[in-house]
Amino acid sequence: MSFPFRYFPVLTLLVALAVGAAGSPAAHAHGLALVMNSGEASLSIVDMDTHREVRRIPVLREPHHWALTPDRRGLLVGDTAGNVLFDLDPTTFALRRQVSVADPYQLGFSPDGKFLTVNGNGRNQVDIYDGATLKLVKRFPLARTPSHLDYAPDGSHVYVSLQDTDRLVSIDLRTLTVQWDEKVGRVPAGVLWLNGRVLVALMNDEGFAVVDPATGHVERRVHTAAGAHQLFLSPDRKILWVNNRVAGTTVALDAATLAEIRSYRVSGGPDDIAFAPDGKLWITQRFVRTVAVLDPATGQIETIEVGRQPHGIFLNPNADAATLSASN
Amino acid sequence: MSPTLPFDLAAGWLEEHVVIPVLYALGLMNWEEVALGWSLFAVYGAAQVVLTYAVCLPLERWRPVERWPDKKAVTVDILYTLISRVGLLPLITFVLFYRIQVFMTGWLTDNGWVPPMLERFVPFLLGKPALTFFVYVVILDFSEYWRHRLSHVFNWWYALHSLHHAQRQMTFWSDDRNHLLDDTIGFIWFMAVGLAIGIPPMQFPLLVLLLRFIESLSHANTRLRFGWFGERLLVSPRFHRAHHGLMAAGIASVNFGAVLPWWDMLFRTADFSHGYVPTGDPTAEEALATGSYAAQQFAGLRRMVRTVTG
Repeated sequence: MSFPFRYFPVLTLLVALAVGAAGSPAAHAHGLALVMNSGEASLSIVDMDTHREVRRIPVLREPHHWALTPDRRGLLVGDTAGNVLFDLDPTTFALRRQVSVADPYQLGFSPDGKFLTVNGNGRNQVDIYDGATLKLVKRFPLARTPSHLDYAPDGSHVYVSLQDTDRLVSIDLRTLTVQWDEKVGRVPAGVLWLNGRVLVALMNDEGFAVVDPATGHVERRVHTAAGAHQLFLSPDRKILWVNNRVAGTTVALDAATLAEIRSYRVSGGPDDIAFAPDGKLWITQRFVRTVAVLDPATGQIETIEVGRQPHGIFLNPNADAATLSASN
Repeated sequence: MSPTLPFDLAAGWLEEHVVIPVLYALGLMNWEEVALGWSLFAVYGAAQVVLTYAVCLPLERWRPVERWPDKKAVTVDILYTLISRVGLLPLITFVLFYRIQVFMTGWLTDNGWVPPMLERFVPFLLGKPALTFFVYVVILDFSEYWRHRLSHVFNWWYALHSLHHAQRQMTFWSDDRNHLLDDTIGFIWFMAVGLAIGIPPMQFPLLVLLLRFIESLSHANTRLRFGWFGERLLVSPRFHRAHHGLMAAGIASVNFGAVLPWWDMLFRTADFSHGYVPTGDPTAEEALATGSYAAQQFAGLRRMVRTVTG
């Protein structure tokens, strides 16, 4: 009698997709997308309705990732080689201020907003900043190449992958000490807290590791495809999406069981994902200067040309091309 | 469509279908970001070679300055070009420069300093890549003029640099013909200036391609001049040939500019009077002119040691 259960994850996805499709009569979602072109010192603003780039904002050197401030009034974009955080208005993308920060690669606020963690990928350091003042609280020199991060839901710990040494490190934010530093697999990249476990994508392997957050012990590995790079949870928290850099795929898994639901061919170095209100996934394609808009229901992909090496991507359905700041 | 799109797509293809699978198979995926930089260098380097070949070869055949019974000595120069523009050298220099830049600018930021960066000093340049690049070119070309001129002043340095001048069959392939130590000094020199002005290594690849083309063209074996005004605007093959002339080897040389002849005019080392002189260095041993790659490198090192030890 296991037959119906075997297909449960597929049915869940199909139902979710059907509901999503029914709820969005328009062909495209409205709003604006901000794409960080890490290879040419610029940000592309894309109209989510027309799928056209409407403006390109110059930055200093290498924009990679972003973080929304706890009050959601500021969008921090890290420019690594420029050593600066650009604080933008998330609706108009106007520059509010610049904050000097050394080598801001991956960054994120803790769920309680108390801390901002900034990974200095090139300088082998993890910096913990005060979330309100953006003053440096403590620096952790960590070998080597701190890459991605995620927090425990209560904000007590931040987990950082160290790409060049195959390790994942847990920093206790209550004591500001390293809780553990453990080998988790070959070339760890994306980190995600899910259902009481820390998932770590393994770039030189075919999936991700499931890690016990208390000890750093790898409990099991889950297969996706070669070169697993990034992990994202859908807004309804039901689907786990994994981008696989070597295989050139994006894999959907049931977030509860980690069983694979479907694999989509997304070539060109799939990297970061943002979720649009119409259920589509906006995926940056590092190698081919495009953003892929994937419709999970049909598997169809539309591509949008942006700048060189697009990396981070932020969507704001409430933004509009008409409200863009004249100054940016 | 962006003019760099075809190059970027070619680099992306190379990364996705060749480099990444190899890195993955070798367990070296942590080099993926660096490899992407190399792919760009390799594609733009290959494009430089193709563009230079497509333009300079017809020019050399159409109006050659010299004709040689065989071109064996040129073959080594082709190897120099491929190593310098497509191979390992750009990868090493890119990685080194980038890493040093990240550490240095991060350290400055930590200590409350604003890392040197042209666009920070002159915010007007932000969002104007062509103009920004032009300013970078002027500064770097000025620094290159002095590096090159000093390499003719110090005997030990010229002993290395004479490898570049020893070529009697100078063609567009000769631009990258350099001793590795001379290249290393050149890199350190570039790095010092590059760090001081915060040059981004790969922000202007298409424009770098054009500059390298001008440098290759200036070595071409062709009777080409740019006219009175043009010769004073950009370094032409005729202008640079005077620098490589038999009588101009060593300290007596003229026309040190790489892209812009302005510095030669400013510091009174410009010579617009020469015709198309024969090239070479009569003081260089034969191995420097016609030896294999290894023989040339060894001969250059030997000459430097002899110069230093007297």
